[in-house]
Amino acid sequence: MKMLDAFRSLLSAGSTGWLRNVAPPAVLLVLIAVIGIASPGFLRADTLLVILSDTAVLFVLAAGATFAILIGGIDLSIQSVASLASVILAQLLPRLGLWAFVVAILAGVASGFASGLVHVRLRVPSFVATLATGGVVAGLGLLASNGRAITIEETSRLDTTWMNQSLDGVPVVVIIAIAAGVASFLALRYTRFGRRCMAVGAGEPAAWAVGINVDRTKILAFTVSGALAALAGVILACRLSSGSPNLANQTLLPAIAAVIVGGTAITGGLGGVERTAVGALIISIVRIGMTFVGVDIFAEQMVFGAVLIGAVSVTIDRSKIAIIK
Amino acid sequence: MTAMLAAVQISKSFVGVPALSNVDVEVRPSEVVGLIGENGAGKSTLMRVLAGTHRPDSGSLTLDAKPLRLRNARDAAVHGIGMVFQEQSLLLNLSVAENVYFGQEAQFARFGIVNWRRMNLAARRQLEKIGVDIDVTTRTSELTFAARQMVELAKALTLEESTQRQLVILLDEPTSMLGQADIETLFARVRALKARASFVFVSHRLEEVLKISDRVYVMKDGRVVAEHAADAVTAPRLHEIMVGRGLQSEYYKEMKQEPPGAEVLLETSNLGVARIFRNVDLKLHAGEVVGIAGVVGSGREEVTRCVGGFLPQTNGMLSVAGVPTRIVSPGQAVKAGIGYVPRERRIEGLVMFLSIAINITLANLDCVMSHGVIDYRRERNLAVDWIRRLRIKAPSPDIACRNLSGGNQQKVVLARWMNAGSRILVLDHPTRGLDVGAKEEVYELVRELSAQGKGILLISDTLEETIGLAHTVLVMRDGEITARFDASRGRKPDQVELLRHMV
Amino acid sequence: MAYALFPMNGRVRLMTFNANRVDSRPPLKPPSDIASRPRGVALSSMASHRWRALAPLFVLVVLAALISVANPNFLEVRNLIRIANSASVPLTLAMGTTFIILLGSIDLSVEGAVSLSAMVLVLLAANNLNDNNYGWAAVAAAVAASTVMGLASGVIQTMLRIPSFMATLGTWFIGLGFSVFMLGGSAVRLVDPALRGLALSRFLGLPFAVWIAAAAFAFAVVIQYYTRVGRHIVAVGGGEDVAELSGINLVRVRIAAFGLAGFFYGIAGVLAAAQLGQSDAVIGDGRMFAAVTAVVVGGTSLTGGEGGVVNTLIGVIIVTVLSNGMILLGISPYVQQTAQGLMIIAAVALTLDRTRLKIVK
Repeated sequence: MKMLDAFRSLLSAGSTGWLRNVAPPAVLLVLIAVIGIASPGFLRADTLLVILSDTAVLFVLAAGATFAILIGGIDLSIQSVASLASVILAQLLPRLGLWAFVVAILAGVASGFASGLVHVRLRVPSFVATLATGGVVAGLGLLASNGRAITIEETSRLDTTWMNQSLDGVPVVVIIAIAAGVASFLALRYTRFGRRCMAVGAGEPAAWAVGINVDRTKILAFTVSGALAALAGVILACRLSSGSPNLANQTLLPAIAAVIVGGTAITGGLGGVERTAVGALIISIVRIGMTFVGVDIFAEQMVFGAVLIGAVSVTIDRSKIAIIK
Repeated sequence: MTAMLAAVQISKSFVGVPALSNVDVEVRPSEVVGLIGENGAGKSTLMRVLAGTHRPDSGSLTLDAKPLRLRNARDAAVHGIGMVFQEQSLLLNLSVAENVYFGQEAQFARFGIVNWRRMNLAARRQLEKIGVDIDVTTRTSELTFAARQMVELAKALTLEESTQRQLVILLDEPTSMLGQADIETLFARVRALKARASFVFVSHRLEEVLKISDRVYVMKDGRVVAEHAADAVTAPRLHEIMVGRGLQSEYYKEMKQEPPGAEVLLETSNLGVARIFRNVDLKLHAGEVVGIAGVVGSGREEVTRCVGGFLPQTNGMLSVAGVPTRIVSPGQAVKAGIGYVPRERRIEGLVMFLSIAINITLANLDCVMSHGVIDYRRERNLAVDWIRRLRIKAPSPDIACRNLSGGNQQKVVLARWMNAGSRILVLDHPTRGLDVGAKEEVYELVRELSAQGKGILLISDTLEETIGLAHTVLVMRDGEITARFDASRGRKPDQVELLRHMV
Repeated sequence: MAYALFPMNGRVRLMTFNANRVDSRPPLKPPSDIASRPRGVALSSMASHRWRALAPLFVLVVLAALISVANPNFLEVRNLIRIANSASVPLTLAMGTTFIILLGSIDLSVEGAVSLSAMVLVLLAANNLNDNNYGWAAVAAAVAASTVMGLASGVIQTMLRIPSFMATLGTWFIGLGFSVFMLGGSAVRLVDPALRGLALSRFLGLPFAVWIAAAAFAFAVVIQYYTRVGRHIVAVGGGEDVAELSGINLVRVRIAAFGLAGFFYGIAGVLAAAQLGQSDAVIGDGRMFAAVTAVVVGGTSLTGGEGGVVNTLIGVIIVTVLSNGMILLGISPYVQQTAQGLMIIAAVALTLDRTRLKIVK
C-alpha cells in the first residue's frame, strides 16, 4: 500500500500548476523519442507529414468534442454526424458541386443544435442527449445512403482532389485542420462566447448567478461540435473518395480520448483546443508508432488501451474533480 | 461527577483561520450538555471533532480518563459516540430500516444475503425505543424532515448494540427545521433516553437549550467563554455572554454611517413567494443599508434570493429606480443593476478555478472588449486596479480564486459588482467564514459603498452585525415582516428588542 | 426514478406511495437551493412521482398495443418466443451495465468484455481451429475471464483515480485487443453441440438462452435487493459521501460492482457465441449502445442510486419489441437506430425528475 501511496502522490504532484500543463507535451515528446529510437524511420519528414495528415481528421473531430467537454458535457454523436456528412457529400456532389460541402456542414450544424436543444430544454444529461441524437443521425445516414457506401465518382472527383493535394508541401487537410484549430482557439480565448464556455464549464452555478445565459452557451457549444464533426466527415470522405454511414466508425472514442489525454478536464472549464491538438497527436502517434516499433498488428489495440490508461493517469488533474466516478 | 467524554485543549484551523482555540469541554454520564454560540463560534467544528469526522490540530480527547484517538466516524461509533447531523446523513433512496442499520447489515446477513424480516424487525424495535411509529419499509425520501430526524436519532442509537458503555449522542441543531410539536417530541425522547446516553445539544434558541440541558457551555470566536448549570442562568444572561463585546461601534465603523439619500433604488410592495413569504414591503434608498433579521425559516433568505433573481416572485410588485421590474433570473437582476453576493461564495459567487481577473469582468465583458474581442491587457489592468482599490491580497490578477483566502474572495465578488456598476447590492451572509480582520475590511467596504450612493440589502449571521451595519432593520418571522427598527448612527436598537419579534 | 420491488418480510411487494404517511404540511425546504432553476409546472410531487415510476411500463404497453393493432402476428406465440430469444443477450448485458449506472459510473468496456468472453469460449470449446474440447469448463473460463476484466476496470478506476469513462475506455481496448490478438481477425466456429444447444435447444418451448437470461435477471434482482453488496452499490450511487461517513469502503464496493458487471458480460458473451455459432473479434459491436439505451429507457437514472434491474428488464423488452415491431411492420431497419434515439430522448425527458434537478451536465 505504501508504494501505491507514493505512486499516487507522484501522480498528484504532477496535477498542479506548470507540471500539469507540461505533462501532455512531455508525454508526446517521450513517445516520439521512444519510437524514434526503436525505429529511426519514424523520424523522417515524410513519415511525420503522413502522421499529421492522418491526425487531421481526428483533430477536427476532437476539437469539436472539446467545446462540448469544456462546457461540462460530452458529445457522443460526433461519429454519426461525421458519417452522415460524408454520405451527404457523396450524394450531393454530382448535383451541387462544391455546394455539397456547405450542405454537409450545415447538416452537422443542425445536428449539433438539436443535441444542444435536447440537452438544455429537456434537461437531459448530455451523455444521453447526444447518444440519442447520435442514434437518430446514424439512422438518417443509413436512410440517406440505403445502407451502403457511395463512391465519389470520377466526375465529382474534381471537386475533391484539392483536399488530397499539398500546398507548398503541407497537405491541404493539415491546413484545414490547423485553420479549424486556430479558429476554435481564437473563439475560445477571445470571444464572449468562449469566455462564457469556460465559466459555464468551470462553475455553472456562478456563471448562472452572474447573468450568463447558460442555455444559449451550451446550445452554441454543441452546434460548434456538430459543425466540426461534419467538417471531419467531409475531409474523410474526400480522402477515401466515398461516403458511407459507417465511414467514421471507431473514431468517437479516440476523439474523446484525445481531448482527455491532451489535458482538458472531463468535467469541463479547463483546457482548450491547443491541448486537444497535443492529445490528438499522442493518440495518433501511439497508433502509428506501434507499427513502427514492431508491435504485433493484432496486439495494437491492447497496447493502445494500456497506453491510454497510463496517459490519462498522468495528465488528469484530480484536484479539479470532486468525486471521481 | 467525573467526565465521561472530554475534549482537552482542542484547537483546529481551516485554511489558516482558527475555528477552535484551546477548547476544554466535558460530557458526564446521563446528562444533556447544551452548546451555544453564534454562527462561526465553533460549535459545529467542536461537535465534529468529538464525532471523529474532524481531527484536531492540537489537544486531545479522553474517554473515561483514557486518551481517545479517533480517525473517523466508525472509530467514534465503536466507542459509543454518534452524531445526528444537521444536513442529514441519511441515504434518501434506501428504506428507513436500511438507513438505521446502514453499514451494520452484516449481523442480518447470511452468505451475503440480507434477511429483511430480521432487519426490519430490529429497526422497528429501535424506533419503538424512541417512541416513534414509522413504517420501516418506507423509502426515506418520502418522510418529512421531522420524521427523518427521528430516523437519524434511531440510527445513532444503534450504537447501543455495539458497546455496553454509555453512549454520547451529538445533536447538531436538530430543532432548526422542526415545528413546536416535533420539538416537544424530540425533547421527550431525549429525556427518556438519558439513562442510556448523554447528549450534547447545539441550538441557536437559548430558551430551548436551557429547557433540555443540565449544563450549558457558551462558545465565542472558537473558545469556550462560560460554563453554567442550566438552572443557574437565564437566556438573556446567556445572550449577553454570547455576544460579549456589546455593540462595539468602532468594529462596525458606525462613525462612517451617514444618513441615506432620498432616491429610492429598490422598492417592493406586497412581495411574496407562495408558501414562503408574503406582504414584504421595503424601500431601499441610495446610500442605505437595510438589514433583515430573522431565524432560519423566517423567510429572510428567500427575500434576498427573490430580489437576486433566484426565486421568482409569485405576487406583489418590485421596482428598481422607480421602474416596475419582474425579475425571474439572476441575469435580469444583473441587468437591473442588482449585484448579489451569495452565501455560498465558492459555488455561486466565484468560478473558483478561473482567475481573479476573469471573475471580476464576468458580469460585464463589454468593459474589456476592443474591436469585438477580449483585450487581455485591458482586463489585467482593470483587475490590478481593483486589487489595489480593494486591497485584495493577491500576488497577481491571474491566479485562480481558489487560492485566495475567504476575505479576499469576498472582495473579488464585490469588485465584480462594483465593476459592473451595480447600484443595488444584496449581501447574503457576507462575513461567513471570515476571520475578524477580514470582517472589518468588509465593514469598511460596506461604508464605502454606502458613501458612493449604493443601496445594500443585508442578511447576516449575527444580529449584532445586522444592527451594527444597517440604517434600517426589518425583522421577519414565519414569512412576514413583524417589526421595523431605525438603526441610525447613535440610535442603534438593543438586540433583545429585535429578538422578541424574531422567535 | 421508478417503482421498486421492495422486500419486506421476505415477501416482495410493489411499493406504493401512501398518502397517510405524508405530513399535511410540506417541509420547508432548507434555504440553500443553490442554482436550482425551477422550470415548468411543478406538479404535486406525489402525483408526478407515481407517473414517473410507471412510465416505462406504460410505454411498453402502448407500444405493444400499437404494434399488435398494426400487425396481429405480433402477439403470436412464435413471435413472442422470437422476442424473448433476441432479448436474451441484451438483457444479460444490460444487467451488468445497470449495476455500474446505479453506482453513478459509466462502463464502456461492454463490447470488449463480450468479445473477450466469446473468444475464450470459442477457443477452448470444440471449434474448427484447434483440438480443444473443454465443454463447460470453457464456459467457466470465459465468464471468469470477463469477470477478471471487470475487476481490472474497477481496480484501474479506483487505484489510479481516473474517471470510469476513461478506465473502461482503456479496458475496452485491452479486452477487444486481446480478442483480436488471439483470433487474428478471423471468425472461429463453435462446434460443441452442447454449447450450441444453449441457443438451439429448447426447454418448455423456449430456447435455453432465454432461461439463462431469466436466471441472470433473477440473480441480478437478488443482488440488488437482497445482498449487502447490492444495497451498498445503490447507496454509493445515491450518496457517496454519506455512505462513506457510515463506514462503507467505497473502493471495495466499486471494484465489486465492476467485477459483477464483468460476470454478466461474460455470460452474455457465451450466449452470443452460442447464438451465432461462431465468434470473431467484432461480436460485441453495437451492443453498448443497445445496453445503455435499454437501461436509460427503463428509467434508471444516470446519476446513480435510482432505478435498477427491474427497470432495465422493461427497457430491454421495450427496445426488443420496438425492433421486432419494425420488422413486422416492414419498416426499414435503418429507421431503427433513429427510432431508438428518439425513444431515449422521450424516455428520459418523461421520467426525469426535473423539479429536483439542479445542474444537468
